[in-house]
Formats: sequence, C-alpha cells, structure tokens
Amino acid sequence: MAAAAEQKKVVVHFRSTGNAPQLKQSKFKIGGNEKFLKIIDFLRRQIHQDTVFLYVNSAFSPNPDELIIDLYNNFGIDGQLMVNYASSMAWG
Amino acid sequence: MAAPRDDEAEWSAEAARRVWGGAVPLQVHLHDADVTTLPPPPPFLTLGPRIGYFPLLVPIIKAHFSSTLPPGIDTVWFEYKGLPLKWYIPIGVLYDLLCADPERPWNITVHFRGYPSEILTPCDGEDSVKWSYMNSLKEAAFIITGNSKNVMNMSQADQGALWQSVMKGNLDGYMNISTRLKLGPFEEDCLVRTSSVEGQQGSDEPESPGSGKPCRVPVRLYVRSVQEDLYDLEDAVPVGDWENISYINRPFEVRKEEGRSYITLKHALKTLLPEFFSLKASGTPDDSGHAQTLDSSPDVPGTPRRYQKAESASSRQQEADVANKGKVKLVRVQGIELDMDIPFLWVANNLKNPECYLHICVYVGTRKQQPKQGR
Repeated sequence: MAAAAEQKKVVVHFRSTGNAPQLKQSKFKIGGNEKFLKIIDFLRRQIHQDTVFLYVNSAFSPNPDELIIDLYNNFGIDGQLMVNYASSMAWG
Repeated sequence: MAAPRDDEAEWSAEAARRVWGGAVPLQVHLHDADVTTLPPPPPFLTLGPRIGYFPLLVPIIKAHFSSTLPPGIDTVWFEYKGLPLKWYIPIGVLYDLLCADPERPWNITVHFRGYPSEILTPCDGEDSVKWSYMNSLKEAAFIITGNSKNVMNMSQADQGALWQSVMKGNLDGYMNISTRLKLGPFEEDCLVRTSSVEGQQGSDEPESPGSGKPCRVPVRLYVRSVQEDLYDLEDAVPVGDWENISYINRPFEVRKEEGRSYITLKHALKTLLPEFFSLKASGTPDDSGHAQTLDSSPDVPGTPRRYQKAESASSRQQEADVANKGKVKLVRVQGIELDMDIPFLWVANNLKNPECYLHICVYVGTRKQQPKQGR
C-alpha cells in the first residue's frame, strides 16, 4: 500500500559508537517508503556483523517496521536521518 | 469551579483503569505440526491484557502444552488465520486491527517451531519485549519533548519497576513512576503559544526547544484496507499479509485555530491521514474540523475532471489519490468505535498505551485488494 506516490529519498547519516567498525562512506540515500529494517540489514552487510544496535539521534531504537520517511519527518535533523550504531547496547 | 475539575480527573482515572484492565479472551490452539500426542491437547483459554504483548503469555501457554511438545528448542510465535502476529504490537491493537468483527474468544494458534523469520523479527521472550517497550517510550518522549532524556535518565531501579508495572498491569505502580517523566497530559492551552508564533509571518519559525513549539502527540496508525462495498464487518476478508496494512507513525501537532474550542478526533485524523479522508479539491486547509462529516465525500469521489482549467494539477492529483485510496469505514481505539466529534486530546490523554503512544486502527474501503507486489 505504501508503494504509491511519494518515493522521496532520505539521506541517512551513519555514525559508529564505541568500537563498532567505521564505514568508509557515512551517508547513503534510501527510499522513504522502505522500512527501518532495510537500514538495519544494509548496515549489517556493510560492517559484516550480525549483531548491531541502531539508534536514531543517539536516543532510541525504532522498531524495524517503521517507515524511513516517518522517521525522517519526525526525527530528521538538517535534512538527514542520524543513525548511530554500536556493537553492544549503547543507550539502554 | 472545583467540581467539574474533580469530575474530569475522576473520569480520566476511570478511563485509565479500564484501559489497563481491558483484556481479550483468547482461545489458544496448538498448531497441528507441534502436536505429538493423541488425542491432541485441548485449546488453552486465557485473558490477554490489551496493553500486554503475546510473548509475555508464553510461560503460561507453554506450561499448558508442555506434555505434548516435540523435543528440541522452542521458538514461539502466534498466528491468526495464517498471519503471523507481530509481537511488538500490543495485544489489544492486534485484536482491533485483525478481528474486524470482534470474535470472543479470539481463536489464535501458537507455534513452537518454524519461526517465520522473514516476517517476524526475532524475539527472545520478555527481554525483547522490554527492549521494544523502552525504546517506544523513548521514541514517544522524543516526539513530546524533543529528546529522550527523561527516560534515559531514569535509574535502573525505576526502569525495572516501570516495566514490571506494565507487565503486571499495575496502574498505580506505573503512575508513581511515569508522572515523573512529565510526558503528559496534553492540554489545549499549549495552543496559545503557537498562535503567537503563527501570527507573525509564520513560515520560517526558528526551531527553539521548549516554549513556542507546538506540542506533538505520538500516534501510531494502522491502516487496513477492506472491500469498498463491505457492508457487514463479519465479511471482511482476513488480513493475509502485513503488506496490506499500512503502519504509519505521524505525530499530531497541536495548533491553535480561530473559532475552535477544541480539536475533534475527526480533525486530527484528517490532518494525520489526508490521503484517506476526503479533501476539498481546492487544497485550501480545512479550517473548521467540524464542518465536514466523515461521509460527506461525494458518492463517486473525484473522477479527475481534466477539462476544468481552474484546477491545479496538484489538486487533481490529490483528488485522484483519494479516489484510489478509498474512504474510512471504521476507526477503533482500545476496542472502542469512537464518536468522531470527541476531543482528540481527551483520547490521546486517556486512551494511550503505557509507552505514551496512541494506537489508532483505521479501516479504509478500497476498490480492489491491491495485488501483492514483488516477493
């Protein structure tokens, strides 16, 4: 159902925390109608780790079904969605 | 002056008690593939708290079926008419969303094997649910206050006690801790500050934290499409795939508007889901919140009228979108089909779940069930 009109792309800015591996490129564009799960899977592949914890704005971990466009509209800062990631739980 | 206030507080307390006390009678069947005894075990009857989560019921359900389960490691999940149930959605919401015509008891199936990991995220029982709950609470706090500090700065002891109160449905224990988080109640007054900002030019208001910002109410919307000509909810085609449900997270921004004493539920929903409510073709903001009724869209909504030059392309597009996406048939919150003229902030304050989100199920009639895309 969500696949309709607005295929806005969202800039996702990844930032590692603790000793999680850094990415060579930290910003990626992802379709707004995709779910947060897409970001999780993408990051897992990028850093070759299955266990990774993702947080928006160093604050909370959205559930994997949330639409990226909703996250961007609700929590985006300076035109991008900030996603922090860590190899272990960082922000309880 | 004191009396109505007291009444209101009492009303709110009563609403919270009912939300917290609300439960769905469940009849849990063990899936055939997991049955190793003859005769198969009888189904298990229990109450699922509306604000609770399915994985939290696993210990009692497992105890009931333990003698018949195959040996090996259990990965428990639930299913209703072939649809695996998302474990992080509160039981009451799943029931309101998936049982168009509320069936009592709700017949669901439990599986102990064959976890559908392509559909459900992994779940390690209570720990996963607690993690999901705390993160939703932080997310809600972020929407309300602009950060999650109130929740993150809680002591471990308070976090633990808060979770225990939610898990056990202990409203008093919950209130003791949650009131300190200052995540509510929302008041119509927070409109006043906004109106002064909007008065002067309005377009480029500085993003200053704290005062002056409109307050935002965290809302999770679940939009289910049903047949457009559905007359009896009993006949709704069961949801076979989560792709047929739109899961939408859009906070409602409380804004003051002239000539309105309060925001109606109808107005809030129109603002949150413009694509599913009939819009005026002109695209002017709908200012009243009272004027239109839900059903006031024309019977044949907007066949695009290409020959009217006055119409802008975007409004034509809008109209076409509305026609495609259908109209709202039913709105359900905490099992209640609400009066659309009820004050929205009352609903948000009193019918929210303990993670401070208001969950709203919306049934929308669409012309055709959309064909599955991909996969």
